[in-house]
Amino acid sequence: MIRFIHTADWQMGMKASGLGTASEAVRNARLESLRKLVELANERDAQLLLVTGDVFEDNAVDRLLVRKVGEFLAKFKGQVFVTPGNHDPLAPGSVWDHPVWEEASNLTVIRENTPVELENCTIFPCPLKEKYSTKNPTSWIKAQDCSKIAIGMGHGNVEGLPDVEPDFPIPQNAAENAGLDYLGIGHWHSYSPYKDSSGAIRMAYSGTHETTKFGERESGNALLVEISERAAAPLVELLPTGKLKWHAIERSLESPGALKPILNELRAIESPESALVRLRLKGLLFSVDRQDLESLNEILDSRFLFGALQADSLTPAPEDDSWIEELPAGALREAAETIRQQAMHGADESDRAVATRALLELFDSKEKAAS
Amino acid sequence: MILKSIKVSNWRSLLDEVELGPFSEGLNVIHAPNGTGKSSLFEAMRRGLFDAHHVGGGEISAVQPWGRDLTPSVTIEFTEGDDTWRVEKSFLSGKSAKLARLEGSSFKPVADGRNADERIREILAAEAPGRGLSKQEHWGLAQILWAPQGELHLGQISGNASESLKAALGVQVSGDSGSQIEDRIAERYLEFFTQKGGYKTGKSAAPIVTYQERKDALAGQLVGLREKHLSFEESGHNVEDARQRRLQARREADALRETVSETRSKAETYAKLKAEQSNKRDTESLTKEKYDNLTARQKQILETRKLITQLTESLKDKSSKLGELKKEEARAKESLSKKRTARETARAKRKSVTERQKLIETAREFLNQSESLEALDKCITQIAELKGQQSKAKDRLSSILAPTPEVIRDLRKWINKHEQARASLKASQVHLEITPENAIEVTNATNQSKTRIDSGKTVEFSGDDWVDLTVAGFGSIRASGPEGSSDEHRAMLNKAKKEIEKLAQPFGTDDPEKLQLLRDQVDKINREITARDERIDDLLDGDNWDSLKNEQTELKARISEIKKYYPDWSNQPPVLSKLQSDYEAFNQSVEDEITTAEDEFDQAQSKHSASDKAVTDAEAEVKLVQGRVDGATLQLEQLSEDGLNDEARKKAIEEALMTWQAAKTAADKAEAALKQFPDDPSKELSKLEKQLAALEDSEVRARDEEKTAEGLLQSLAAEGTYSKLVTLEEELAALEASIEQESIRMDAIKLLHETVSTCKSRMVASVSAPVERSATRMLSRIVGPRLGQLKLTGAFVPEAISPEIASSPVAIQNLSGGEQEQLYLVARLALAEVLAKHQRQLVVLDDVLNATDAGRLARLLTLLEEVSDRLQIVILTCHPERYRALDSAEFFELK
Repeated sequence: MIRFIHTADWQMGMKASGLGTASEAVRNARLESLRKLVELANERDAQLLLVTGDVFEDNAVDRLLVRKVGEFLAKFKGQVFVTPGNHDPLAPGSVWDHPVWEEASNLTVIRENTPVELENCTIFPCPLKEKYSTKNPTSWIKAQDCSKIAIGMGHGNVEGLPDVEPDFPIPQNAAENAGLDYLGIGHWHSYSPYKDSSGAIRMAYSGTHETTKFGERESGNALLVEISERAAAPLVELLPTGKLKWHAIERSLESPGALKPILNELRAIESPESALVRLRLKGLLFSVDRQDLESLNEILDSRFLFGALQADSLTPAPEDDSWIEELPAGALREAAETIRQQAMHGADESDRAVATRALLELFDSKEKAAS
Repeated sequence: MILKSIKVSNWRSLLDEVELGPFSEGLNVIHAPNGTGKSSLFEAMRRGLFDAHHVGGGEISAVQPWGRDLTPSVTIEFTEGDDTWRVEKSFLSGKSAKLARLEGSSFKPVADGRNADERIREILAAEAPGRGLSKQEHWGLAQILWAPQGELHLGQISGNASESLKAALGVQVSGDSGSQIEDRIAERYLEFFTQKGGYKTGKSAAPIVTYQERKDALAGQLVGLREKHLSFEESGHNVEDARQRRLQARREADALRETVSETRSKAETYAKLKAEQSNKRDTESLTKEKYDNLTARQKQILETRKLITQLTESLKDKSSKLGELKKEEARAKESLSKKRTARETARAKRKSVTERQKLIETAREFLNQSESLEALDKCITQIAELKGQQSKAKDRLSSILAPTPEVIRDLRKWINKHEQARASLKASQVHLEITPENAIEVTNATNQSKTRIDSGKTVEFSGDDWVDLTVAGFGSIRASGPEGSSDEHRAMLNKAKKEIEKLAQPFGTDDPEKLQLLRDQVDKINREITARDERIDDLLDGDNWDSLKNEQTELKARISEIKKYYPDWSNQPPVLSKLQSDYEAFNQSVEDEITTAEDEFDQAQSKHSASDKAVTDAEAEVKLVQGRVDGATLQLEQLSEDGLNDEARKKAIEEALMTWQAAKTAADKAEAALKQFPDDPSKELSKLEKQLAALEDSEVRARDEEKTAEGLLQSLAAEGTYSKLVTLEEELAALEASIEQESIRMDAIKLLHETVSTCKSRMVASVSAPVERSATRMLSRIVGPRLGQLKLTGAFVPEAISPEIASSPVAIQNLSGGEQEQLYLVARLALAEVLAKHQRQLVVLDDVLNATDAGRLARLLTLLEEVSDRLQIVILTCHPERYRALDSAEFFELK
C-alpha cells in the first residue's frame, strides 16, 4: 500500500496582472498554501509527495523564492519527488540548479527518464527538459512487468482537450498503456480525473494548489492518493489547500434599486481579506442608484484583498428623466440632455462610457456645489 | 434705485457740509469747476452704499481732507422698489453706519453698524469685497449704471449683475444654483486641464499625466528587463550548445588519437631509413667528388699548356701591329695642326666684316644728323624772323595811344548826353532873331556885349529867361519866355562837356570815330602778335628757343667729329646702298672661306681621333693578351703543385673511380629499402597531429564557452529576471488600467465642461442679441451707420463692431477715442434700459463725453432725454453749458 500526495502547477512567482497592489499578496498566498499542503500531507501520513511539474512559473524566478519552496518541502516527513514541467524545464540555469535541492535528504529532483525504485512502489518520472515538444513525455514508460505499485509522473496536455495545441501530448489512456497504477500529471490548473475502462481513476490533473485567476474552476486543491496494491484502483481524495477566494460577479441592471442586492451580496462575502472580487455591471443606470454605485465602489476599494468594479457598460436609463429634471433649468439641463443622448446612442462603447461618466460627474458637481 | 438726495462732509476737498437734492427722477446735472469736489461727491455715494463703515487702510484714509483729523461722512436718501431709505455712514475715527426707512412721514432706523452695511448691500444686490474697499465688480448693477470719471469703458460685468441682466431679459441661463454647479464644473475641469484644453503638467499635473510618465518610464525599464530575460534564456541555450560541442570534440579527438599513434611509429621507422640513405649518399658524393677533382685537374693542366702556346703567338702579332698604328697617328696629328691654323686665319677675317658694318652705321648716323641739322637750321631761321616781326609790331603798338572800347563807349554816351543837353537848353531859352534892313548895332543888356549886324544878315540872340537888347536908333527890345529849367540843362551840358574832355584828353581828340579807328588799329596789331606767337609755338613744338639752339650746336659738333674720320664726306656724302652691297659681298666671301676651313679641320680631327683610338685599342689588346699569358702560366704552376707527374696522376684517378662505384652501390640499397613506404609518414602524422590539436582546441574552446555561458547564466539566474519582470509588468498593467479609467474620467470631465460651455454660449448669445440690437440702434443714431453692428460678449461687455464694409469684426480699440466713449455710453444705456424694465434705475455719468464733438453731443443729449423717461440720470460735469440743451434737466451747482 502506498499513500501519497499528488500536486502540481504551483506556479510560484507567477504574474498576477490586473490585481494592482494585491499582486504581491496573491504570490505570497501561494507560498502559504504550500505550507498548508505540507502540513496536510504530514497530518494525513502521506509517504510521498509527488509534484508533477511547474513548481515555478519560470526558471528565472527570484532565487530566494526557490530556497523558500525547497525549505517548505524539506518539512515534509516523507520523500518528495519533483519532476520539472514546461514552465521550469530542466535546462542549464534552471531553478533545479539551486543548491537547496541538494540540502535536504528527502528532496529529489528527477532529472532523467529512469524508474526510481522505492520500498513499496516504483516511480516512473517524466521530467521535461524543454518548454515545447510534440513528443508524449510518458512514451518511454513500460511498467507492465513492474512487480511493485507503479506510479507515473508526467506533465503535458491530455489529448482530446478542446482548443489545445499538441504540446507534450499525453494520451487519455496513457496510464493503462504504460501499465501504471496511477499517472499523476500536471499542466492544467483544474482538477481533472481520467478513468480506465473499469472506472478506476488511473490518471489525474491534480490542479493548482492555489487558484491563479478569476474563473478558474476546481482549483486550490491537492490530491491524496492511496493505492493498496499493484493493479488496485487508486483512491483519490481532494484536499483543499487554497487560501484565496476569487469572486467574478456579473450583473445586469434593469430597474431602480437593483444595486442594493449586489451591495448585500458583497457584504456577505466571507473572509474578505482573502477575497478577490471582480464585479461587472451592465444595463441601465438610474439616477436614484448613483449613491449605491458609489457605495459599491467604496466597498470594493476598501473591503477586500482586491476589488474591481467595471461599470463602463452602464448607460443612463432613458426613461429616467430625473437625470435632467434634478438639474437647474437652463444651460445645465440642455448639457445634461446632450450628454445623456451621447451615453445612450454614442458611436461606440468608449463614447457611451465617457458620456455616462460625464453625467455622473455633472451630478457629483451638483451635489458638491450644494454642500 | 432712485437717488433722492446726498449730503457729504469732510470728504477730500468737500470740507464743509454739502447737500444736494432733491434730485429729479429724470435728468440732473451737477456742475462745478475742476477741483471743487464733483467726483468726491460721487465717490462718497459709492463708499456710503457699498463699503463697510469700519473699512481701514490707506485708500479710505486718503478721503480725509488734507492735514485734518476729521470724520468723512455721507448721508444718502434713495428709493429702491417701494421703499425710501436713508443711509448715514461715517468712516475712520468716527466710523458708524445707520440705515433708516421712511415710514409714514419720518425715517425709522432699520439697522446700524455692520448690519446696516450688510442690509444696504442686500437692497442694492451688491457684494462684499474680500478685503479693503469695494471695486466695480462688487457694486451689483451699479457697475453697469454708474460710470466713474475716466472709467466709462465697460471691461467686465460680474456674475450677479450678468445674471440680473439675463433675468431681466427673461431668459435663465444658469440661475444661482446653476452658476455654482457651473463654477464647480469649471473648477473641476481646471483641476486637470489648462485653459487651452491640454492636460496640466508639472506640480499640479493631472493624474493621467503622471501615470503616463510613469508608464513610459516603466516601458523603458521593461524593454531592458525583457532583453535581460531573453539573454537568460539564450544563455541556457548557449550553455547547452557549448556542452554539445565540447562532447562532440572530445569524442572525435579520442577516435583520432589511435591513428596518430600508429602513424607516429611509421614515421619514426621512415626517418631512420631516411637517415641511413642520406649518409650513404653523402659517402658516394664524397668519393665521386674526389674522382671528379683528380680528372678535372689533369684535364686543366693539359688545356693550360695549350693555351699558353696560343697566347704567346697572338701577343707577337699584336705588338707588331701596334707599331704601325702609332706611325699613322703621328701623321694624322700633323695634318690636324695645319688645318687648325687655316681655320683660325679664315675666322680672323670676320673683324674686317665688323668694321665694314660699323662704317655703314656711322654713314647712316652722319646722314641722319645732317638731315636733322638742316631742318633745325630752317626752323631756327623762321623763328628768328618771326621774333623780329614780333618786336617791330610791339614797338608800333607801344607808339599808338588808343582808348579802350569802354572809353569809346563812355565818350559816345557823354557826347549824346551833351547833344541832348544842348538841344534841351536851346529849347528852354528865349531866342530873338534880328535881320535888319540896314546895319545896326545891338547891345545885349544881359552881358553888355555889342553886336553889329549888317543889312540883311540874321543874328540870333538867346537868353535863359529873356533877351534884352538895345538897338541903337531903334530902342530896346525885350523878349521873354516861360520860366523853365534851362539851368538844369546847362548843368548837364557842362557835366557832359567835362566828362567828354576828361575821356578824350589822353587821345587829343574827342571824335569817337577817330578814336575807334585807333582802337581798331591796335586790335589788328595785337591779333598779328598773337598769330605769330602761335606760329612760333608750333615751330618750337613743345621745346624752347634755347634748347633748339643747344640741339643745333650739338648736331654740328657730332657731324664735325664724323668728318674728322671721313673727310671725303664733306665733299661727297656717303651712299648707304653702295656701302651696304659692298659689305654683303665681302661678308659672304669671308663666311665661305671660314666654312671651308672649318670643314677641313673637322675632317682632320676625325681622322686623328680614329688613329689615336686604334693605337689605344691595340695597346689594350697587347696588354690583355700579356695578362692572359701571365695568368695561364700562374695557373699551370698551381695545378702542378701536387708534385705528381702525368703518369702518377692517371693511377690516382683509377683508384678514386673504384672507391666511388662501391659507395654508390651501398646508397642504392638503402634507397630501395625506403621505397617500401609510399610516402613520408611524417607528413600524414603532421596532418593528423594538427587535426588532433584542432579537436583538442575545439574542446577547450567549447569548455571555455560553456563556462563563460554558465557564468553568465548563473549571474542572470541569480538576478531572478522573471520575478523582476513580473513585478514590472504588473505595475505596468495596473498603470494601464488606471490610465484607461483616468482617460474615461478625464474625457468625461472635458466632455461635461465643453458641453456645458457650448450650451451656455448658445443661450447667452440668444440673450444678448436684443441688447446688441438696442445698443446698435443708439450708436447708429449718434455716429451714423458706419460702425455697423455692435457685438457684446456673453457677459454683455462690448467686444467689437461689424461694419458692413469690413469682412471681419473690428476690435473696439481700433476706434477713435470719441467713438469709443460714445460706444461705451450707448452700451451702458442699452443695458440700463434692460435693467429698468421693472423699475427706474439711477445712471451716473461722471465727467464723460469729453472727446465727443458738438454735433454728436447734441444727438446724445436727445438720446439722454429719451431714456430719462425710464432712467434717472445724474451727470457730473465742469462744462454745464454743454448740457444746457437738456430742457428737462435739473441743474445743481456745487459751490
